[in-house]
Amino acid sequence: MANIAAQRIKREFKEVIKSEEVAKCAIKVELVNDNYTELKGEIAGPPDTPYEGGNFVLEIRVPETYPFNPPKVRFITKIWHPNISSVTGAICLDILKDQWAAAMTLRTVLLSLQALLSAAEPDDPQDAVVAKQFKENIDMFQMTARHWTNVYAGGPHVNTEFNEKIKRLQDMGVDDHQARVALSSYNWDLERATEQLFTARLTLVIFV
Amino acid sequence: MSEKSENAKVHPSESGSGSGATDGEDKKDGSTFECNICLDTARDAVVSMCGHLFCWPCLHQWLETKPNNQVCPVCKAVINKDKVVPLYGRGSTNQQDPREKLPPRPSGQRTEPEPGSAFSGFGLGENGFHMSFGIGVFPFGFFTSMFNFGELRPSAAPRGTPQHMEEQFLSKLFLWLALLFLAWLIFA
Ligand SMILES: [Zn+2]
Ligand SMILES: [Zn+2]
Repeated sequence: MANIAAQRIKREFKEVIKSEEVAKCAIKVELVNDNYTELKGEIAGPPDTPYEGGNFVLEIRVPETYPFNPPKVRFITKIWHPNISSVTGAICLDILKDQWAAAMTLRTVLLSLQALLSAAEPDDPQDAVVAKQFKENIDMFQMTARHWTNVYAGGPHVNTEFNEKIKRLQDMGVDDHQARVALSSYNWDLERATEQLFTARLTLVIFV
Repeated sequence: MSEKSENAKVHPSESGSGSGATDGEDKKDGSTFECNICLDTARDAVVSMCGHLFCWPCLHQWLETKPNNQVCPVCKAVINKDKVVPLYGRGSTNQQDPREKLPPRPSGQRTEPEPGSAFSGFGLGENGFHMSFGIGVFPFGFFTSMFNFGELRPSAAPRGTPQHMEEQFLSKLFLWLALLFLAWLIFA
C-alpha cells in the first residue's frame, strides 16, 4: 500500500520538476526524507495580491493511503489569510478534505493553494480574526497581509508605520511576532493591542 | 502541455541521432494509456462512462474509499461500478484472467445479435423476448458460470464457437421455460 504512494510521489516529483510552473519559479517541491512521505513545497505569491513577491514554504505529508486520501499540507511560512491559520498554518481548502480526487497531484495541490491566495473564501474561514477583518475592512486586511508577506516571506513592501508600532511594543518587552499578531488582530490600534497583550499577561500572572 | 516541452527538448539536443523524435513520440503515445490514479500504464484497464482510463484495482480502491460519493477521480462525474467498461487489448487473453484476482473486474456487457424469426408466431415480439431474457437470465447466468468453473475464457464466447452455440441453446431453453411459465400463469 505504502508502495503505491511512494511510486506515485516519485512520478509526480518528476512531473512537477519538468512542469512549466517550475520553469517560471511559481511552484517547487523538494524531498525531505528518502521514503517519499515528507516533502517541502514552495509557492510564489500570485501577482496583484498582497502576497506578491513573497515565497511561501509548505509542509507536505503523504499518507500511506495516498492518492486515495489527500496529502496533509500546512504553511510553514507565517501568512495572514482568512483560510489559513495565522498560528498553526493549517489550511481550510475543500480539495485537501472532502473534495479530494485520486487523480489530483502535488502539482494541482500547489496550484490550488496559489489560487487560494488570489481568491480567499472568508465565508469558510480557518482564521476567524483574519476573516472578520477581510469582510469588515478589506484595505486594512490587504495592508496587514502585505506586511506579513514582507516580514515572513521576503516580500518587497516595507510598512514603516507598522514596523514602528511593533518596535514600541518590543520596547515594552513584547516578542515581535506576538506584537505583530496583537496589532494585526486590532487593526493596528496600538492602544488596544497593548491593552490586550498586558491584560492577557496580568491574568496569566494572577492564575499562576 | 508536456508535449511542448518534450518537443523543445528533443530537437536541439538529439537532432543528430534521429532516434530522439521517435522517443518523444513513444512517450507521448504511452502517456495516453496511463491510469489516472497510479499514473502508470493501466493494467486490467477499465474506462468510465465519462471516458477516463484507470486500472481496475486503482478505481476499485477509490470507490471503496468513498462509498457514499462515487465520482470520477478526474472530472467528478457520477461514476458507477457497474457502468465501467473493461478494455481487452490484443493478446490480453494470454494474460491471467483478471477476474480470478481480487477485486473482480466487471465484465463487458455484450448484447446478443437479434435472434432468428423462429419465435415470431407466438405473438411475443422480439422486444418481449429481450425483456424476458433480461429478467430471467440473471440467476441462470450464475449457474452457467458455475458449470464452466475452472475454465479460462472471456465473459462472452465469440460467435460460431461451440461455446456460443451452447449459450444460444441455453438461452433458447430458458426462453421456452419462461414461455411455459407464462402459459401456466395464464391458464392456471
Ligand atoms: Zn492505476
Ligand atoms: Zn471522468
